[in-house]
Amino acid sequence: MSPEELPPPEDEEDKRLMSLVASGDDDALRLLVHRHHARLVGYLRSEVGSQATAEELAMEVFIRLHRASSRWRPEAKLTTYLIHIAHNLVLNEWRRRGRKPTSALESAPEPGDLSHDSTRRVTELDEAFRQAVALLPAEQRTAILLLVQQEMPYEEIAAVMEAPVSSVKTWIHRARTRLRELLKDYYGPA
Amino acid sequence: MHQPAGHDFDQDLARALAQGRDVPAPGFAERAVQAVRADRRQRRLVRWGSALTTAAACLLGVFVLTGGSEDALAQRARALAASDESSQLTDILGFADELAMLTPVVDRHAVVEVLINPDL
Repeated sequence: MSPEELPPPEDEEDKRLMSLVASGDDDALRLLVHRHHARLVGYLRSEVGSQATAEELAMEVFIRLHRASSRWRPEAKLTTYLIHIAHNLVLNEWRRRGRKPTSALESAPEPGDLSHDSTRRVTELDEAFRQAVALLPAEQRTAILLLVQQEMPYEEIAAVMEAPVSSVKTWIHRARTRLRELLKDYYGPA
Repeated sequence: MHQPAGHDFDQDLARALAQGRDVPAPGFAERAVQAVRADRRQRRLVRWGSALTTAAACLLGVFVLTGGSEDALAQRARALAASDESSQLTDILGFADELAMLTPVVDRHAVVEVLINPDL
């Protein structure tokens, strides 16, 4: 977003709802959750590979948001703040499990095994992409998900991941290279 | 007509990931509000518990601080003992016993009566 542009009305609505949440308004909280939960669950599911875990973590995100509501200052977009909390919870989840989460995608067939039937090719390619993204190192996966799936600018990704923009750019470059390697059957060598 | 898959890496990546961008969970908002309410209640309980513990610690601290040193405590114990009439009577009886042992002719009851009644 360029600096000349006015903040979108959604941001203003988020600020209004957050001030109501801070004063204990549960209806405002319900509205806020309704507005943001689908995107949050989508991001978390892409990270942890499980719908149930994604919903549990998303629930925890809103609990933490509520706890922080009185201290929250609308300096950043609420979506960035929510994804930031979610990312920290994902890191905790990985630490708790002691390793990178496995996902259902790991049991899917290798890209090279996929059928070349043109009618199924798009679906299979999408599956191959998601499978390849799940195999990326943690930082690379988070960075590429936030950039491509969540359509966040580099600066917001850096804020979410608490890292310099230069690191984010490096992770994204490496992620693209790695994805091209994993999907070389479709796109040729990187 | 859309471009065939496998043709444009970035486009295919964006399409594949965009499918998982929004995942609505039915009933999630209501469950989240319930979870937040439960968390609010729990934190209120913890706050009250913490406040009570702090108050108890403060009371204990005041008691200890106003009690002063060990000498002061010993002095207070002696003062309490001095104000205890039963303790004084026990001392008198003990003194009478000792006199009776030293001089068997002395009437023990008479000694006690003399010590208790200053008019005699």
